Amino acid sequence: MMKVVALAGNPNVGKTTIFNSLTGMRQHVGNWPGVTVEKKEGILEYGGEKFLVIDLPGIYSLTAHSVDELVARDFLLKGSADVVVNVVDATALMRNLFLTMEILEMGLKNVIIALNKIDLAEKRGIEINVRRMEELLGVPVVPLNAKGGVGLDQLKEAVSKMAAGELRTNPVVPKYDGDVEREIEHITTVLRDTKLADHYNLRWLAVKLLQRDDGVIKLVLRHLGKEKLDEIMGHISEVEERYKRAMDLIIASQKYEFIDRLMHRFVRYSHEGGETFSDQLDRFLTHPVYGLFALFGVFYVIFKFVFAIGLPLQGMLDDGFVAFGQWLAPHITNEALRGLIVDGIIAGVGSVLSFFPLVFLLFLSMSILEDVGYMARAAVVMERIMRKFGLPGKSFIPLVLAFGCNVPAVMSTRTLDDERDRIVTMLVNPLVPCSARLSVISFLAGAFFASNQALVAVSIYATAILLALVVAWILSRFVVKGEESPFIIELPEYLIPSWRTVTLHSWERSKEFIKKAGTIILLGSIAIWYLSAYPVEIGTGGSYAERLGTLFEPYMGLMGLDWKAAVSLLFGIIAKENVISTYGIIYGSVDEIVNAMTPLQAFVLALVTTLYIPCIATIGAIRAESNWKWAAFTVIYMIALASIVGILVWNVGTALGY
Amino acid sequence: MVVPLSEMGPGERGIVVNILGGHNARQKLVSMGLTPGATIQVLESHPMGPIIISVGGVRFAIGKGLAGKVMVRKL
Repeated sequence: MMKVVALAGNPNVGKTTIFNSLTGMRQHVGNWPGVTVEKKEGILEYGGEKFLVIDLPGIYSLTAHSVDELVARDFLLKGSADVVVNVVDATALMRNLFLTMEILEMGLKNVIIALNKIDLAEKRGIEINVRRMEELLGVPVVPLNAKGGVGLDQLKEAVSKMAAGELRTNPVVPKYDGDVEREIEHITTVLRDTKLADHYNLRWLAVKLLQRDDGVIKLVLRHLGKEKLDEIMGHISEVEERYKRAMDLIIASQKYEFIDRLMHRFVRYSHEGGETFSDQLDRFLTHPVYGLFALFGVFYVIFKFVFAIGLPLQGMLDDGFVAFGQWLAPHITNEALRGLIVDGIIAGVGSVLSFFPLVFLLFLSMSILEDVGYMARAAVVMERIMRKFGLPGKSFIPLVLAFGCNVPAVMSTRTLDDERDRIVTMLVNPLVPCSARLSVISFLAGAFFASNQALVAVSIYATAILLALVVAWILSRFVVKGEESPFIIELPEYLIPSWRTVTLHSWERSKEFIKKAGTIILLGSIAIWYLSAYPVEIGTGGSYAERLGTLFEPYMGLMGLDWKAAVSLLFGIIAKENVISTYGIIYGSVDEIVNAMTPLQAFVLALVTTLYIPCIATIGAIRAESNWKWAAFTVIYMIALASIVGILVWNVGTALGY
Repeated sequence: MVVPLSEMGPGERGIVVNILGGHNARQKLVSMGLTPGATIQVLESHPMGPIIISVGGVRFAIGKGLAGKVMVRKL
């Protein structure tokens, strides 16, 4: 079996860069079983041996408050790794060593510290005596500049040696003051007689009990019984009384004191740096007013870039699929098979796949912004505004992404660390009009409102965005349970992104989009093609789709629309641009569409197209990032919302004489 | 003088003495290095926006609400 190497560390320490350098292109991204925390795995080859490298989620501690922390903690606790590489940022040693101490406190004997950003630390006058650090911590320390590719070979060598059992460690563990140590001693004595002693480090369990860690309390309860546990917890409360502070705070601050004392013996800060470039930039970019302008500027440029390159590519791909279908058609003699492949699979999957360039470019732009360090600033600027609608500033990014395509936008909600925030952001995401709906809106606005085209388009966008915010407010207040997440964001140093990391990352994420096209979109396309081709061809009035549309006619009538709209909207579920192309099939030409509807009807159709069921790809993405329940909920609430708005606008509009 | 972090102005420094509030918020602050004993410097503070602080060489933006739970002895 391959030896397993796990990478653990705080966010923004360069873990991803190290992971990429170790594994090259041979990596795989999935989810940890049961949770939507990204799981990256890759193969490292060194000295003729292969290692499985696993990138644990970036975390600040192992307190298990977030899913990320739980995943990392369980992994380390189970002893699943043969070697644990703890990536430490040399420019923020104190904070980073906090996690190191938590890892060492678990009793792990197979930890290597990768001391990254050593070049940056030197520049800032931080002198680290690596030999001394190694001695004091009792584990090997490899200095690195991962971005510059310095020290990676030494790291690989250390990993391979440790895996082979050639490196001995004697890890230091934090010492607390007399009172706390007495408690730890007392608890370990009690636990020593239980089965827990076979599987866990007792000192670690004791410290976690002192911190009132939910998971550990439950674990101990099972082995010790309620009575003994209550006695221990009672003891802890007494100590807290004496300190007049919660035990988790006492432990944490003493841990930092311990780290501080250690650090004095191997780090020297030669000069206190003045205001850095980052500080000056932050003064501007996090400013409540200027920052907002900067934010809109940045996103304007990105959208210009993405659409300028992406839309022509999308058109080309779309044409390509159509041409491919036309070329293929004569080669298939069986009529039913030809219809299935050409009109069902190629046309359906193709129209969704043609959005791939947009998806990729959006992810690319976001990865760059992320790597540069701008995303944290964008979140800060938007925090105050988003919070009014029950969302954190961070969820601004997934909502903006949605203007391009809802699928990557839903996928990007992963960056939100609070579960409630993540679900709410995901559920309102499809209300933001994506580029596919832009094509419907602009077609209808152009055809029916020649003089007020822009105004009509803007009013539809505004309605959709407003509804998204209102729904977010309602959901976060009444539907999705959970308390408001505390707002604190680290502002990482501004850095020039590594192209390799950025492109690799964007590719990994947009690849999932293609995967979805292979499954859920494929099935949906086939189903809808079947409805339109049987028992007779669409356009004749007898196809299942048209019969289904007629069934909905009375309902559509409430919003001034007919069965044709019902059929078009049905096909729009595959991809929203289909709404117009279906009209095209039924009517035959654009002129006839224009003759068949009043401007008010067209307006209602555009509005309903924007608000009703998200496309299949988006539903699939929501299901993948949460579960079927939330995906179904999204479908239902959006149908309801679209109906209410449609009926309201139609009736008010007719009453006003439009 | 001990004051909540939310009441400190730009340029002011202090040492964290206590963190009030619930377990959740406390743990988050502590793991990020805002713990009793840590030296904090306020970099920016706008009446309407969050506070930008520096702790142990790392910068954070922290909401006014959360900052109100961090008790700091001014230096």
